[in-house]
Amino acid sequence: MAEDIADILIIGAGASSAAAAWSLSDTRMRIVCLEQGDWMNPADYPSNRREWQVLRNVAYSQSPNVRKRDTDYPINEDDSAVSVANFNGVGGGTVLYSGHFPRFKPSDFRTRSLDGVGDDWPVDYYDLEPYFAQNDRNMGVSGLAGDPAIPYHEPPLPHIPIGKMGNAVARGFNKLGWHWWPSDAAIISEDYEGRGKCLNLGPCNSGCAQGAKSSVDIAYWPLNQRLGVELRTRCRVREITVDDNDMATGAIYFDENGVEQFQAAHVVIMACNGVGTPRLLLNSTSKRFPDGLANRSGLVGKNLMFHPWGHVEGFLDGNLDGHLGPQGTSLLSQQFYETDPSRDFVRGYTLQVTRGQAPLSLALQGVARGDIPLGKGHHEAFRKYLGNSVLFNICCEDLPEEINTVTLDPDLKDSSGIPAPKITYRLSENSQRMLAHGIRSATEALEAAGAFQVNSWGQNRHTGWHLMGTARMGKDPAKSVVNEWGRSHDVRNLFIIDGSIFVTAGAVNPTTTIQALALYIADNMKKNLANLFD
Amino acid sequence: MAERIVSDSGLSETQSRTLRVMLDAIIPADAGRGMPSAGELDLMGYVAEFAPEALDAIRADLDAAEDLAQKRLGIAFGGLSADDAIDLVNTSRATEPRFAQTLITQALGCYYQDDRVVTALGYPAGPPFPQGNTVEKGDLSLLEPVRKMGKIYRG
Ligand SMILES: Cc1cc2nc3c(=O)[nH]c(=O)nc-3n(C[C@H](O)[C@H](O)[C@H](O)COP(=O)(O)OP(=O)(O)OC[C@H]3O[C@@H](n4cnc5c(N)ncnc54)[C@H](O)[C@@H]3O)c2cc1C
Repeated sequence: MAEDIADILIIGAGASSAAAAWSLSDTRMRIVCLEQGDWMNPADYPSNRREWQVLRNVAYSQSPNVRKRDTDYPINEDDSAVSVANFNGVGGGTVLYSGHFPRFKPSDFRTRSLDGVGDDWPVDYYDLEPYFAQNDRNMGVSGLAGDPAIPYHEPPLPHIPIGKMGNAVARGFNKLGWHWWPSDAAIISEDYEGRGKCLNLGPCNSGCAQGAKSSVDIAYWPLNQRLGVELRTRCRVREITVDDNDMATGAIYFDENGVEQFQAAHVVIMACNGVGTPRLLLNSTSKRFPDGLANRSGLVGKNLMFHPWGHVEGFLDGNLDGHLGPQGTSLLSQQFYETDPSRDFVRGYTLQVTRGQAPLSLALQGVARGDIPLGKGHHEAFRKYLGNSVLFNICCEDLPEEINTVTLDPDLKDSSGIPAPKITYRLSENSQRMLAHGIRSATEALEAAGAFQVNSWGQNRHTGWHLMGTARMGKDPAKSVVNEWGRSHDVRNLFIIDGSIFVTAGAVNPTTTIQALALYIADNMKKNLANLFD
Repeated sequence: MAERIVSDSGLSETQSRTLRVMLDAIIPADAGRGMPSAGELDLMGYVAEFAPEALDAIRADLDAAEDLAQKRLGIAFGGLSADDAIDLVNTSRATEPRFAQTLITQALGCYYQDDRVVTALGYPAGPPFPQGNTVEKGDLSLLEPVRKMGKIYRG
């Protein structure tokens, strides 16, 4: 029997993979994607049940260490100030994400030239602009054109409702003369491409029962399959193999029955995210690559960036129904995004305003804090808070530092016996100062909006949603893992397209930029097909 | 008094009595607002379905409450008035914040996801899907000053 060789083998079926597979499908090449998780069924999501507020806690936890599905892998976070959030299944992290979709800004790609920190990217905002727009159309993105904090672009759908709560917060920003804008969201505000519009269910972070949230299992994969891409679930890759010419030959994986298999391929694309990709590369050792595949620079797994994150919650009078609407997206302020030399930190942050707490978490927290008494007075106090909570998220730019790493844990393994990743991460002084500033400004904005109570939660450990930097791109093979179009410097038929290749972190949620970059890389692969490996 | 539908699965008689008094004390009924007491809801049925792993801790919480009532007041917790019961709970929690913690957590979970409670709070009963919620689009005229800022990004 002739050997089964895929033209392109993609590892992982998350955000970046879906976009790249879509783009590459028009080459008519044979594309195979191996994903360790399952297809999700929206009918199983907690928001189909009255008890959604507790049903989301374990099975849909953002932490693989809590969720412990057999499709998850454990992560050692003992030496990290931030714990990792992900999802392992078709759609990857987008199954649970909020769909808050702001783009990186032009300055994010030039931090070294502009501010003397981090490094400049080998691409810039304007290189990616058409791919942002294409991805917005493919995903179904809602937003309002004209935001003065970002180059002009027109989201395909009208913005997501900001609600009475958004109006109140906006008035506060206006009082201070600060920027704000309804957020771009990967959630469809109107019926779009056969999908029903957002119903404001609320709990986007435990999967969208309506399918209005543009997770890529909904927005991309069904189309990709119609276009001929083969997606194999419950296939967990252990290792990428190479030959003596430093060319990738394929992947060894465990199939749904736990049986070891080999898939040969002409091109391998890594899309396992900023933790999964370095883990797999570091686990792919060989004579030619004793320190891990594509790791002659020594940078695989280094420069891990999250977004240092803080929370400030406010309570505003006026029955605002602030807990209704898509949980993680409403409006943002980028008043403090760009570097200002008068501040005690470099670079900046976004204030992401999200919906308030649902009744149960409000009650639990209120009782724990003593704001809501047990016994007499319980109902009165509860009503004072219900619907009036609003959450400010401070999303800080992280700077790349080689001491923040993903390595292989010497002891911990997943259920297939593959070494688990270990995270070593701490917040820099710059991040701490930035976060402190962010907490002060969030408090100021809430007070300006008339908050009768402000609770500052400070830095929050459980915020490792954004996984970046661990296989950075660049022109110099000594200082980067992949080149300016995602190809490994060391292995000429190996590409990386997920958040690992980010050079810096920006101060916004990364997925729209991850996907634009994946489309950009796929397009460059197509343009260079004749001499892809030169 | 409203009918009680506590399903006492796995609780002794004393524990069941303690539970009823405790629940009515921590979340009393409020007829004016249409709010039932926590004791009117089927907490143990809820726990059996959604948090079976909490059952042992709930039993321990009930036993601890009973011990305390006997020690401090010389009577069974199940014989306390609502005022005495909540006093005991609150004073105990002031020095031992974990007192009755699992029970209270589960009681709040049962209570604030109950259709009667949710409707009394002014929201539709049942799961979020498929009915969804109505949210105001927002007042875009508030963006006027922001539009006037002009470009604020670099590059
Ligand atoms: C709760 C939550 C909220 C978030 N909110 C936002 C938000 O509002 N906005 C935003 O921009 N981003 C958000 N994110 C982050 C967003 O989900 C990620 O940025 C995005 O999914 C990353 O895309 P990716 O392609 O790099 O990897 P992922 O989407 O993580 O996909 C990686 C895939 O690879 C698979 N994989 C890994 N290892 C292997 C292996 N060995 N073999 C086979 N398959 C493997 C995984 O199972 C997974 O499906 C959120 C994430 C979470 C968890």
